[in-house]
Amino acid sequence: MCGLRAMILLLRTRCLVTDRSLEQGRQCMLEILDTAGTEQFTAMRELYMKTGQGFLLVFSITSQSSLNELSELREQIIRIKDDDNVPIVIVGNKSDLEEDRMVSRAKAFAVSQSWGNAPYYETSARRRANVDEVFIDLCRQIIRKDNSAPQAFDDEISGVYGQGRKDRRSRQSRRRKKDRSCVIL
Amino acid sequence: MVKADNPRSSALVAPLSIHKVEGRAQDFSAPARHKRNNSSKSSTAASSTPSQMTPPATPDGSQEEDLMQQAERPPIFHNFLRAFYPFHPTYAVSDTTVTLPLNEGDVVLVHSIHTNGWADGTLLISGARGWLPTNYCEAYDPESLRTLLQALLNFWDLMRSGHRSDAELFGNQEFMRGIIAGVRYLLEKSHCLTRESPLVQSNDGLRRNRKALLSELSALVKAAKRLQEFIVTPTSADDVNDVIDEMILKAFKIVTKGVRFLDILEEDQRKKQPLVNRVMETVVEESSVPPTPPADSTSFEGRQHGDNLSDAASRRTSSHSTASGMSTSTRAAEQSNTPSRQRSPLSHSSATTPERRMSKSGSVVAKRPSVSHRVSMTIPAAQRHNLISERLNVSHDNLLSYLGSFIGRLHLQSQSTADLVVTIRHTVTAGKALLAVVEAVCARDTQCADTLDQSRSAMYDRINKLVVAARDVIKSSGLEEDDVVMPQENGRLLMAATGCVKAAGECVAMCKFVLDRIGDFEFEGGLSFDVDPAPYQANHISPGPDGTSVPGSKALVPLEPGNRAPPPPLIIPLYEKPLPEVPVGGSPGEKDVIPRPQPPLESVAEGEDTDDTNSSRSSFLPPLPKLHSPLMTHEEYSPTDRTSPQDGEYQASLRSGSIAVSSIGTTSSYLSSVRGSESSMLSQTSTRATTPDVSNHAPKNTRGSLSEISVSGSHSTIADDMDDGESRMLEKTFAHQLMYNKDGQITGGTLPALVERLTTHDSTPDAMFVSTFYLTFRLFASPIELATALVERFDYVAESPHIAAPVRLRVYNVFKGWLESHWKRLVDLEALSIIESFAKVKLLAVLPHAGGRLLELAGKVSSTDGPLVPRLVSSMGKTNTSMSQYIPADTPLPTPNLSKAQTAALKNWKMGGSNPDITVFDPLELARQLTIKEMNIFCAIMPDELLGSEWTKRSGSNAVNVRAMSTLSTDLSNLVADTILHHDDFKKRAVTIKHWIKIAQKCLELNNYDSLMAIICTLNSSTIVRLKATWAAVSPRRKDMLKGLQAIVEPDKNYAVLRRRLHDHVPPCLPFVGTYLTDLTFVDAGNPATKQLPGHGDSQGIQVINFDKHTRTAKIIGELQRFQIPYRLTEIPELQEWMQAQIVRVKSSPNQEQVQQFYRKSLLLEPRETFPRPSPIDHGSFGSVGSTGSVTATGHKEKFDLFGWTHSRERQLSAS
Repeated sequence: MCGLRAMILLLRTRCLVTDRSLEQGRQCMLEILDTAGTEQFTAMRELYMKTGQGFLLVFSITSQSSLNELSELREQIIRIKDDDNVPIVIVGNKSDLEEDRMVSRAKAFAVSQSWGNAPYYETSARRRANVDEVFIDLCRQIIRKDNSAPQAFDDEISGVYGQGRKDRRSRQSRRRKKDRSCVIL
Repeated sequence: MVKADNPRSSALVAPLSIHKVEGRAQDFSAPARHKRNNSSKSSTAASSTPSQMTPPATPDGSQEEDLMQQAERPPIFHNFLRAFYPFHPTYAVSDTTVTLPLNEGDVVLVHSIHTNGWADGTLLISGARGWLPTNYCEAYDPESLRTLLQALLNFWDLMRSGHRSDAELFGNQEFMRGIIAGVRYLLEKSHCLTRESPLVQSNDGLRRNRKALLSELSALVKAAKRLQEFIVTPTSADDVNDVIDEMILKAFKIVTKGVRFLDILEEDQRKKQPLVNRVMETVVEESSVPPTPPADSTSFEGRQHGDNLSDAASRRTSSHSTASGMSTSTRAAEQSNTPSRQRSPLSHSSATTPERRMSKSGSVVAKRPSVSHRVSMTIPAAQRHNLISERLNVSHDNLLSYLGSFIGRLHLQSQSTADLVVTIRHTVTAGKALLAVVEAVCARDTQCADTLDQSRSAMYDRINKLVVAARDVIKSSGLEEDDVVMPQENGRLLMAATGCVKAAGECVAMCKFVLDRIGDFEFEGGLSFDVDPAPYQANHISPGPDGTSVPGSKALVPLEPGNRAPPPPLIIPLYEKPLPEVPVGGSPGEKDVIPRPQPPLESVAEGEDTDDTNSSRSSFLPPLPKLHSPLMTHEEYSPTDRTSPQDGEYQASLRSGSIAVSSIGTTSSYLSSVRGSESSMLSQTSTRATTPDVSNHAPKNTRGSLSEISVSGSHSTIADDMDDGESRMLEKTFAHQLMYNKDGQITGGTLPALVERLTTHDSTPDAMFVSTFYLTFRLFASPIELATALVERFDYVAESPHIAAPVRLRVYNVFKGWLESHWKRLVDLEALSIIESFAKVKLLAVLPHAGGRLLELAGKVSSTDGPLVPRLVSSMGKTNTSMSQYIPADTPLPTPNLSKAQTAALKNWKMGGSNPDITVFDPLELARQLTIKEMNIFCAIMPDELLGSEWTKRSGSNAVNVRAMSTLSTDLSNLVADTILHHDDFKKRAVTIKHWIKIAQKCLELNNYDSLMAIICTLNSSTIVRLKATWAAVSPRRKDMLKGLQAIVEPDKNYAVLRRRLHDHVPPCLPFVGTYLTDLTFVDAGNPATKQLPGHGDSQGIQVINFDKHTRTAKIIGELQRFQIPYRLTEIPELQEWMQAQIVRVKSSPNQEQVQQFYRKSLLLEPRETFPRPSPIDHGSFGSVGSTGSVTATGHKEKFDLFGWTHSRERQLSAS
């Protein structure tokens, strides 16, 4: 029923599996920050975004406005992270409700392309379709980013390297959700 | 007697109290208990003797491992198993784990199952816990027993964790409900709910079993009541433990009885339709079709057909063999010494151990046979006398009682030959009688004659061997009349006697099997004793008569005194005819690991025998228990009798309970009393032999005599108990539609069940439950449904007159509470007419006063808006007193910190003058005023605003105060940004930042986490953080302060830091509401509204309300409400007004735009540096900001960037 919560719950049970299947057999720990219930504390968004390293932007394919809201969120994320290449995955949820689709696949894809070629997935939390893939993709992006910028202006990351904890990494993935029928946001 | 028995009894019951180990002081008087700790579950508790708890064939039974295995196991974990095949581990192998001997038909409560196929379980019949092979068992989950089994699980869990809130828990007797409901359900399902039901009337066995079941139930209820008393009057934890142990045993017994009842029922049904081939779990049937053991198909030798006697005997045998082994084997000696050393400082000397063991084995004989006598039970008593099956039972019982007493005496290790001769003679006579009966069966049945003949021959053989052994013994002792039989000779005798018991059991089982097929018939032979044609002489035992009467028995050995061969070693080898392969455990690799975790206490002794235990183990799966432990486990039987702290009457009734069991199979009261006295005699004698304390004799003797008269004397008690139980059973109840968690809290239930729970007759309903119910009921039931359910409850309780009065009063109270303090006019109004008519018609008739009051309330409610009783803020029982508890009313209010200049500035502002800067005001005072402002809203939050994610609704949300909280929080954040960005001079900005840091610090000191969060959010936002020039002007001290504050509100790990702080925080405190909202959202979204009750009834389980969800919700709300206590601070209206004006001013534009505006302003003030950075400098901490703070900002203004920062991003993107 509720895509967002369902996805998170799904993810909770599958997180480990997901991470294990990552490329290079690298394990990483994914800390998922869920701000459920505090959406109205808009001032806190920044705080949440700041701590995230990767973001799932989820909208409902049955709602055009939910996609529109994503663009605001994305801008805010990029601004706050001060980085255009923040790992982001665009997710159109509720792919099981094809008959109620308001956002065409092509359009959504075009949007994701315009947002720095962000990958676009359509998922169904209800059918558990593509949920893992979304997270795997995001993890890949985060890891790739890590690897490609080891000289890092990023104190936190280099600190982790310095301590030799290459195998296990704490990742925070901020999940912004746009999901109409869902109670939240 | 009570006093005298107490120490003993606690020792006796102790093995059961494993589950208490974690919480209560360890009772070291129970050596066996330590070992039973070996369950992986309680591995934490194993600290004292950790490696003693080796599970069989498991390296260390670590918890993780176990979890893994559970995961790998087939999806269904069966909580109960039933043995379809007996399992008797040899005790010859010394070891450190407890394996449970199983009898066919034994039901086991499983705690965990190891991958190697061994399950950690508790044997219901004895309460013994240990390892048992699952391949000997099958899942036991008959439909009509399911409720009871489930209830037992709950009961067990509850009792195990009981110490957490003893008083509360035991005070309201809630834990009893499930068991009672389970029994009720069983009877209901089997159409035996009332004594008058035709089924009960027609079947004597059913009637008796039903009676026994109910009397057990009432015994349990009594024990529970006693526990209640214990709680009221402070008693030592030991006593309470005893009662709890006793209760668990009783609960087990109830289930055992239930199982038996069901068996009989099924048997009854089968008898009625004899041609239908059905698979049933009855012992008899099982024995005919042994599911697995392959080696058995040809021979009945070694099969035990559910005969518990042989089991008991085998235990005895083993205990004896260990006893005799002690003299020769140092290891054995060491082993029994070790625990005694360990126990020595405690009140119970180790000497009691062997004594108890012996008395136990004696009484076991007396009590257990009843299990095997089911066949006869189904026949009405009147017709029974001459039926062959009855005769079989009688003679079998007879034989067993002789053998039992014989074996019991052997344990005394001193016996005159004369006694021996007499006993043997009796035994042989009884054996003859039995053989005669078997012979008759044999004659009747042509088909099965062979197999039956075989087993009969085997029995005959055994009896012969016993005689031979006896003769040998007597001979070797020189044939002197008064000579004493040497203890070492006892071994042989024991073996022989055990062999007899076992063979007889097999033979009888076989007979029953045959009888089942050919049907019962009259036994023409008259009394079996008379049939015996050969009067036996002690020294002239001749097989002759048998030889003639049993023509087919070629196996008989002629017993010539001169040339008899020594009896073959019987005991253990005998039992271990091809045991079914136990799954994985057999792998030698695993076994090698077993000895590793040697118990520290034993390691001294076992150091050198590790090897040989190892090797001997390789053929035998389970590392076997230490010698005495399995026997100890049976103590629970008699201890229940002895523990009873009451007088003889209670004893009698308890005792009669057990005797009632045994008499189930045998109508002959003569036999029962024989057995009773036999057992009591045994326990007396054995006590005498080993207990040094003479003072114990008297009570024990009384007990003995009590038990002797118990058969007649206790019937009245049974009857009384029964009536009690009957009336209990007759209550209509929905208790079986409730689900509990391990702590005994309700986690689910249907509306009627929940309503019933709300209106229990015998206890005040749990406050938490009631408040949760009131708070959340609208989420799972409409007001009309609730009102209807309450009225129904009021109606159906009339069926149980003895509880009707209190229940009705409670129903009224529920209505009253609803109307008075939980009435929500808008939604609840629809139910008002129901309530009114109920009050007018039904309630008024029964409770006129209450009816009038309810009507009055209903009238008020319909005319008033809002609750009648001024706001009960807390659903969780917070009262106004709790406020005074934290802030005494006479605490002086802090003096407002507002200087004249500041007041003047405010006045000036109000008159239209310039707006004073925030830095004008004292940080502390600002923090105070902020706190007052927020706290006012926070205190106004109503619990129902927090239900069902109400506050997240986009429109029409009723959660006005929650919304106001978040709005205020956001506004404050914006105000912070505004006041900082307001200044063009970076030095002034720095001053403002410093000021806000101070305010935040003061908020923290006031425990105002909500404002703290809002301020930090802004100071942490990209808009502010990027102002490097400004930050450079902030002193390191302030930055450090900010760092500390940031750490507190860090959202990492779901606000772990903040949550830790708020946990157990003392009000006054204004917590960050967001965490509660997050939690509530998760509970709301992550938990289904309904649950599936484990299937009983015809098909699937019914859907019940997931009350757990609501309980969790209520808990979170309760946590929040805990802080809804206003601060004692002085409000400064002028300052409040000013603050409000500032907020309104900042609020002028919609939020999202506002954020952008702030950012643009920020860019304007300190424009971006010329070259774009791929990664933020200021990521993470402010410390880095300070260090990188080479401020070049002013020199690198990029005007175009003012509104075009996003474009610059894109440009940068295309460049890369």
